[in-house]
Amino acid sequence: MTTDARTPNPHAALDDPSIFIEDVLRESIVEAVPVGRTERQAEFYTLRDGEMLLNMGPQHPSTHGVLRVVLKIDGERVVDIDPVIGYLHRGVEKLCENADYHQAICYTDPLEYVSSLFCEWAPVMAFEKLLDVTVPRRAEYIRVLATELNRVASHALTMGWFALDLGGLTPVLYSFIERDEIMEMLTALTGQKLLFNYMRIGGVNGDLNHEFMSRLGDWMSHAARHIEANQGLLNENEILVRRARGLGVLDEETALRMAVTGPNLRASGIPFDVRRAHPYSVFPELDFDIPTRREGDCLARYLLRIDEVKQSLRIIDQCLHQLPDGPVMARVPRLVRPRPGRAFAAVEGPRGLYAAYVISDGTDQPFRMRIHDPSFVHLQLVGLMTPGNLVADTMAIMASLDPVMGGVDK
Amino acid sequence: MDRALRARLERRFAERLTGPVHQRHDETEIRIRPADVGEVLRSLHDEPELDFRLLADLCGVDTGDRMQVVYHLWSATTADWLRVVADGLDRESPRVPSATFIWKGAEWMEREAYDMFGIVFEGNRDLRRIYMPDDYASFPLRKDFHLADDASRSPGLGVRPMEEAGAPVDATPATLLRRSGAERA
Amino acid sequence: MAVSDRALDPVGGSGAPDDARAVSFTEAATDVVEAIVVPNTLWTPVDPAAYGPGTAGLNADITHLREFEASGAARRDDARWSGALEIVPTKADYLLDLIRANSLWPLLSGLACCAIEMMSTATSRNDIDRWGMFPFRASPRQADVLIVAGTLTTKMAEPLLRLWEEMPEPKWCVAMGDCTCSGGRFKRSYSTVEGIDRIMPVDVYVPGCPPRPEGLIFGMMKLQKLVVDRRGHWPDRKVGPTVPAGL
Repeated sequence: MTTDARTPNPHAALDDPSIFIEDVLRESIVEAVPVGRTERQAEFYTLRDGEMLLNMGPQHPSTHGVLRVVLKIDGERVVDIDPVIGYLHRGVEKLCENADYHQAICYTDPLEYVSSLFCEWAPVMAFEKLLDVTVPRRAEYIRVLATELNRVASHALTMGWFALDLGGLTPVLYSFIERDEIMEMLTALTGQKLLFNYMRIGGVNGDLNHEFMSRLGDWMSHAARHIEANQGLLNENEILVRRARGLGVLDEETALRMAVTGPNLRASGIPFDVRRAHPYSVFPELDFDIPTRREGDCLARYLLRIDEVKQSLRIIDQCLHQLPDGPVMARVPRLVRPRPGRAFAAVEGPRGLYAAYVISDGTDQPFRMRIHDPSFVHLQLVGLMTPGNLVADTMAIMASLDPVMGGVDK
Repeated sequence: MDRALRARLERRFAERLTGPVHQRHDETEIRIRPADVGEVLRSLHDEPELDFRLLADLCGVDTGDRMQVVYHLWSATTADWLRVVADGLDRESPRVPSATFIWKGAEWMEREAYDMFGIVFEGNRDLRRIYMPDDYASFPLRKDFHLADDASRSPGLGVRPMEEAGAPVDATPATLLRRSGAERA
Repeated sequence: MAVSDRALDPVGGSGAPDDARAVSFTEAATDVVEAIVVPNTLWTPVDPAAYGPGTAGLNADITHLREFEASGAARRDDARWSGALEIVPTKADYLLDLIRANSLWPLLSGLACCAIEMMSTATSRNDIDRWGMFPFRASPRQADVLIVAGTLTTKMAEPLLRLWEEMPEPKWCVAMGDCTCSGGRFKRSYSTVEGIDRIMPVDVYVPGCPPRPEGLIFGMMKLQKLVVDRRGHWPDRKVGPTVPAGL
């Protein structure tokens, strides 16, 4: 080991017994980003000795889309986490300001692309409030039917992804079987497979048809059995349960302070569901429960979504039995010019409260179209729940929160 | 439309409201000054007879001559959504107190309003860009930021209604009628 | 922080031509990729000479890579005959291309909605494992095909190009979905790249919003045919929009 006399050995402290090593280590704080940024950045990018920054994404098999997560880890434990989003920001709100009311619905589809009927429903409800349009009852029932089917498909995907992020490659194949069947149904109804473009101001695009009803009948006859089978595949699985139980616990007060809604909130014990708390459409006439769980951990969020799927099947069944006759679309002019005003409409999406706030200035284009997406808010929970856990638990927590990056990034 | 809520709000925030309580459909709207945001939101959150503990949305609005920050809240005590509009922010330097002291989950929503409009939320510990790259220079949702192919629709050339959307810039109604008449003939 | 008085210029420039916004990567095919040099301030070796003569000094200036790239030796595919024999198609070439075509391993690069359709293509109902494409690799070093599925935004353009550059040759690129072919329904947006062919050479375009799994399978079968037909040579790979500027 050659030591040049001119350049002193930087590791002299290790060899010299008179230097107390802990004092030296405490002072060896490394700034990875110049201080002078925001408080949180300064706090995050100040590394203590032994800590390391690990970058996950934006391309990563488990980040549910293009999410970049910077982890500050100490060995295998995550000390802090900084999600970076915006890799899918397509400027939907600005595009909607420069399009008509009818065209704006097409821009809102690809936001939460796994549940795109909800993404159309909230803005359409807001437009209908601005125009004082009454939607025919048959159209409302068809809307509820189609969106509950979409909710089942979305939860199937979530459950498959949850298992995939924990390492199980098989359940995602099963969930895609369910999902593809529902997608075929909705293709028969709407003409599209993923970005449905089915909701219109004043109703829906087309009535139910024979192919949709026959596929729906076939599916309903075995849906409950399939759910039980898929549940049996995963719920008792020791790996899943031991990894997910007790992980990422979210208590009630924190959930409310973080503006959490949807299954993440209900898994923490608060039975808030927009369909009951602020009923819209024909939900006052439908009979369903709001499943709630108390534990607030990843396993509770996962099991809650299965309960919600069962409730959705109940709702679909009631819709089929109570479906009234009538038109499927109200008479709305082609040139839509609402009076100046503001409207806020919220629906219960599979991820939480999905809302649209529309300001009209009297012209044929919305003045401001604001979309509130629940995944955007829930992604902040990752920074709250992950520190203290292992790196592999990051994926489990993210999967249980179920973000869809299209909605997060708008 | 909850009349009782309106009475409660007028009684509680009488001097802080800058306009009447506006109600339409299932929404109640109050307008306040930006400086009162902290206190009004805290009262709405903490007081048991108001109990607006769920923040549904936080967004910025650019009305062309001023900016606003709009909060949407939900409470179990009323059937309406409550909209709180902090109106009158200066367009050149919009500043408003942050809501992160009450709802930590408002942090990212305020970051988005900053990224899209330039509204500075005083007290937000992490006010940096969230959607656009860090070195982006503009605020995209402002009304003076035009999409590239909408420069032809900027107010400088006059607002063009939808019927003329497919016509050249200098078309008059007479030429439009003549053109459609020729097609019919 | 006050918003400055100067007019807030839109990113594209109102009135600027479209390719003013296109990233000028047309020279990227021959230029050397700049190594991303991060000074190592966290750790210093006790003996700077311990890791070889080229690493003396701690600002990791990898100069030997530049000469290697400039000589063109890095662009050669070792599995091909070189020199005059390149223009003669051999049975070995044909066999190698058949092997490559039947085991194209895609890179998991799903950006948006088309990623769901890509996953749907990979799962049981529309199974591309029949063509050997089931292993979606997470690392670009192990992948053959980059199926770009979803809207490309300006923020994501740089990571995506890095992924493309990190993939070793032979590699192909499939633009899946309208957003990657031409910008799609987000063509007017201030933050999207209108088609990935502005930044990387594309071999197969699969239109649709989103394309059905059958459409993607058709695109991949076209790619297989292309791999076999081209015999590993791709002299006409251009980067740039396929639509002429000004249209």
